[in-house]
Amino acid sequence: MDIYLCSKRPSWLVDNRRMRTTSDFQWLLSAFVLLYLMNHVNSQRKETPYDLKCTTNNLQTWDCSWKAPSEAGHGTLSEFCIDNRSRSCYQLARTNIEIPALSRGDHEITIRSLQDAGSSTSKFILNEKNISLIPDTPEILNLSADFSTSTLHVKWNDKGSVYPRHSNVIWEIKILRKKSMELVKLVTHNTTLNGKDAVHHWSWVSDLPLECATHYVGIRCYVDNLLFSGHKEWSDWSPVKNVSWTPASQPKVFPQDKVILVGSDITFCCVSQEKVLSAQIGSTYCPLIHLDGENVAIKIRNISVSDSSGTNVVFMIEDNVCGTVVFAGYPPDTPQKLNCETHDLKEIICSWNPGRPTGLVGPRNTSYTLFEGFSGKYVRFKRVEVSTNESYHQLLFQMVPNQEIYNFTLYARNPLGRSQSTILVNITEKVYPHTPTSFKVKDINSTAVILSWHLPGSFAKINLLCQIEIKKINSVQELRNVTIKGVENSSYRIAVGKLNPYTVYTFRIRCSTETFWKWSKWSNKKQHLTTEAIPSKGPDTWREWSSDGKNLIIYWKIWAFFSEAYKGPEDFMNPISLALHDLQTEQAVGMGKGILLTWHHDPNMTCDYVIKWCNSSRSEPCLMDWRKVPSNSTEALIQSDQFRPGVRYNFFLYGCRNQGYQLLRSIIGYIEELAPIVAPNFTVEDTSADSILVKWEDIPVEELRGFLRGYLFYFEKGERDTSKMRDLESGRSDIKVKNITDISQKTLRIADLQGKTSYHLVLRAYTDGGMGPEKSMFVVTKENSVGLIIAILIPVAVAVIVGVVTSILCYRKREWIKETFYPDIPNPENCKALQFQKSVCEGSGALKTLEMNPCTPNNVEVLETRSTFPKIEDTEIISPVAECPEDSSDAEPENHVVVSYCPPIIEEEIPNPAGDEAGGTSQVIYIDVQSMYQPQAKPEEEHEKDPGGGAGYKPQMHLPINATVEDIAAEDDLDKTAGYRPQANVNTWNLVSPDSPRSTDSNSEIVSFGSPCSINSRQFLIPPKDEDSPQSNGGGWSFTNFFQNKPND
Amino acid sequence: MSRREGSLDPQADSSVSLLPHLEAKIRQTHSLAHLLTKYAEQLLQEYVQHQGDPFGLPGFSPPRLPVAGLSAPAPSQAGLPLPERLRLDAAALAALPPMLDAVRRRQAELNPHAPRLLRHLEDAARQARALGAAVETVLAALGAAARGPRPEPPAAATAAGVFPAKVLGLRVCGLYRDWVSRTEGDLSQLVPGGPA
Repeated sequence: MDIYLCSKRPSWLVDNRRMRTTSDFQWLLSAFVLLYLMNHVNSQRKETPYDLKCTTNNLQTWDCSWKAPSEAGHGTLSEFCIDNRSRSCYQLARTNIEIPALSRGDHEITIRSLQDAGSSTSKFILNEKNISLIPDTPEILNLSADFSTSTLHVKWNDKGSVYPRHSNVIWEIKILRKKSMELVKLVTHNTTLNGKDAVHHWSWVSDLPLECATHYVGIRCYVDNLLFSGHKEWSDWSPVKNVSWTPASQPKVFPQDKVILVGSDITFCCVSQEKVLSAQIGSTYCPLIHLDGENVAIKIRNISVSDSSGTNVVFMIEDNVCGTVVFAGYPPDTPQKLNCETHDLKEIICSWNPGRPTGLVGPRNTSYTLFEGFSGKYVRFKRVEVSTNESYHQLLFQMVPNQEIYNFTLYARNPLGRSQSTILVNITEKVYPHTPTSFKVKDINSTAVILSWHLPGSFAKINLLCQIEIKKINSVQELRNVTIKGVENSSYRIAVGKLNPYTVYTFRIRCSTETFWKWSKWSNKKQHLTTEAIPSKGPDTWREWSSDGKNLIIYWKIWAFFSEAYKGPEDFMNPISLALHDLQTEQAVGMGKGILLTWHHDPNMTCDYVIKWCNSSRSEPCLMDWRKVPSNSTEALIQSDQFRPGVRYNFFLYGCRNQGYQLLRSIIGYIEELAPIVAPNFTVEDTSADSILVKWEDIPVEELRGFLRGYLFYFEKGERDTSKMRDLESGRSDIKVKNITDISQKTLRIADLQGKTSYHLVLRAYTDGGMGPEKSMFVVTKENSVGLIIAILIPVAVAVIVGVVTSILCYRKREWIKETFYPDIPNPENCKALQFQKSVCEGSGALKTLEMNPCTPNNVEVLETRSTFPKIEDTEIISPVAECPEDSSDAEPENHVVVSYCPPIIEEEIPNPAGDEAGGTSQVIYIDVQSMYQPQAKPEEEHEKDPGGGAGYKPQMHLPINATVEDIAAEDDLDKTAGYRPQANVNTWNLVSPDSPRSTDSNSEIVSFGSPCSINSRQFLIPPKDEDSPQSNGGGWSFTNFFQNKPND
Repeated sequence: MSRREGSLDPQADSSVSLLPHLEAKIRQTHSLAHLLTKYAEQLLQEYVQHQGDPFGLPGFSPPRLPVAGLSAPAPSQAGLPLPERLRLDAAALAALPPMLDAVRRRQAELNPHAPRLLRHLEDAARQARALGAAVETVLAALGAAARGPRPEPPAAATAAGVFPAKVLGLRVCGLYRDWVSRTEGDLSQLVPGGPA
């Protein structure tokens, strides 16, 4: 029992059952006990057989081996017993045994070592699960290389006969490269064992040409038998086999002239004994991959399509160059639009589009083979490089006798692949005849000919459909289809009738088959004149009286042509009776090339109707053509190639009755109306201040080109050079438009215009065919005289009224004005203060001061030469003027005791109505208030006379302090003012008492003052001649005061 | 240009007095050689254009491998007498046509859509043959015709791969240019007024 346990437990291969405990303690305890027992067993192993292992390589036998006890020497016998139903024991002098495969389940194995000192026995439990299936090491039967394709071919035997059962085998093949045996490929290959030995092949294409480096191949296998429950292991690797290439003395590049797919990767190598310096594909340099020795390689990824002559791959060696050419292209595309047809039912032409270009030419170009499935015949496409640019290829296939259905398959092939396309055709339905030749025309009679032609082909079994084109001069071509039986001799004839005698015809023909596929090309044209024939009816005639009524004009038509001739008045039945007196001319407009005339049925018209027409512009008698219509008709569409749009035609409808033709209707019409080509000629008949009367003329019929529908009259303000009436159709608001639809109206009055204004007038006529051109004119309206008169009279009246009112006011206020502007000047002689009489002065020599007694002037003497004014002696001074001596130089200042009040002398002559009264000779000018206002009746004239001076009232003083006054009247203006002026130059005035009226003589150094009564010092009376003295500062009188009533402080 | 040793001097050698028709023939042959020199240069350029890179790229110069049956004009031949050089010219021109034909056939496979190149190659073969015949005529007129029967032209050199074929074609075109140019130079010494 101990042995059993001892020999059984340690063997992991034999019995791998494990004791499991449920608690950790038990587990630890068990481990401890197990450790103890193992140690104990090991100490006893060497005394009994141990370490039994069993494997199998064929599932039929198991190879078991064990280790003998340590005491057992070489040649020790062992007994190997299998305890099953029939115990089997084997006496062995070795420690291994091959036994038949045991059935499933546990089997007790007893191994007893028979030694001199005794025996030792070990028992083992053996189960299939403990058996390892390790196939035998496979062996490569053959390793070959196809250097042109860089393909390795491996051949080996699977030794399937040793396996009793069906098994799957996995083969693992490894590819090693270079002397260093770098693994480059590890692939698996699955096979099935079928109980017999089988040789397997496996091929592998190397990315590196096989010439470039030595390649090694090894193989191992793994048998996957589903019924075997034991452990399966890979076999050992077979011994490697290798392929190598013996290099030549000259360097060489591999692969040579390879054809590859665009976008693929490829590796090139250079086998050389010398060092390779660089490598390039095309113009692109590539990094070198060093192989054994001096061999190098380059790898090209995603190669692009090559040129026609291929892509060069060049390796530069020190003093040499070696290279190769690679052709990158595409496999052939599926032939597209494959079509097979025949011209003659003898030969079939199959054409197709090759599709996408392959990029390969020459020997690498696509080859095509056309194979016919029913007959098994085929033809090959002969490469014609010259025609490779053509988009279609074609092949000829000789028809098989009595075969109508053909099943064609077109195979395309090139070094990169193949494709195909199929078509099934009934060739009798795919006939595209040749062009008919030898086309001839032969007369039969005046209305029929025979056409003959040659059409090569074997059409005896089918019918041909031919089309004949018959063309007559000045006529529409006619096509006639005819079906004729096909013949073998290719000659065909056909009769063509229904022709016109003595007419030139042009014939041509083309053919197809009755089961139409394609028309042939047209044959050559053949012109033919048919023979003459007897006229079938008399000419179509018409007759009219000439305008003078002496001649009858007869017209007749032969075929499409008509002629005219004059004949004398003969006994023609029923000459035309004109009945225009009670007819109204109607209007009609045609459509296209014809015009439709309709009329009511008239039972009296027993013969027929005749419609004649002519160009209305032609003089009578006028006749272009006529047409007869049956008497039961009520309408006729008149068509003629001679009709032209825009031309007015006269149409006359005659009815035929026993007595002759009677004019029923007269119609003027146009085939198509057009727009007038001229504008109406218009003139301006009358012009007033607010209206224009326009008159226009009719447009001639030839230029009207349609029925006049009206006129459009445009007008706007505008000068000739500024008017912008360009686009009349735009509907501008400033352009006024009058649409005159009454075509009888020939005048137009445009009212509500502005006087003395230029207007742009435009007139154009229109028909239903469109608007005619425009004609324009510029007219200026007359001036409005009443308004002008009113404009003049009103200002004049206002001026008069203002003058009258002013005069009245001045008259009523004359006292005030006098007091204000012309106060009485006291007589100095009456002034006692100035009476330096001797009695006084002498009597009192000590009297040195001036007595300031009041003095009353008793007289003011005004001296005026040639003055017509009466001398005023009264003390009451009416006009504030003082006489100024004519020649002041004559006066003696010391004796001249009269204090003069002299108005300033104004030398410029001012037109004054009162000038005459003043005599015009005096330099003393009296100016009253009224004279300060200039007449305003002709302001512009006044302005012209005094352009720089201020018309009307202006202040006479320049008061620099008063800015308001200064602004109102400029300094220059003051100098030129013709109105009232003060009598002194205020600039020379000295500042005095604000209450003192002042006056000064501009020409004299003697300064006069107002009333001396206001003077309280002599110094003041005789001021120093100081021109630099300060000017008056607002102390002077200003005319503005008169109006503003603001006294100066 | 210095007179080459051994060249014929028509003025100096009374035995080789040039007749008018001979002079015309020499001028005609020289003009033909001159024209073909230009054509040969154009052919070489056109050939290179159709071979793809790196043919034609600067720096790419495949080794001038020997061509069976035809050697390149050697500088050492400059010392030969003019008739002898002309005989060499004629022989080379006779050997070139089959080689040019072989190049044309190969190019017809590689560049079937380059009719101009193919036509020029065909023309070159014919022109080389014509120029060689003209040179022989001149030699015969000068009394220096080739002795004995002319050896059969060598079989056209062929190359195993496409790339070697391209290189061989380039070499043949180059030889054609060199020999035509050399012939023109040799004939120019015979032309009265030309470089002597």
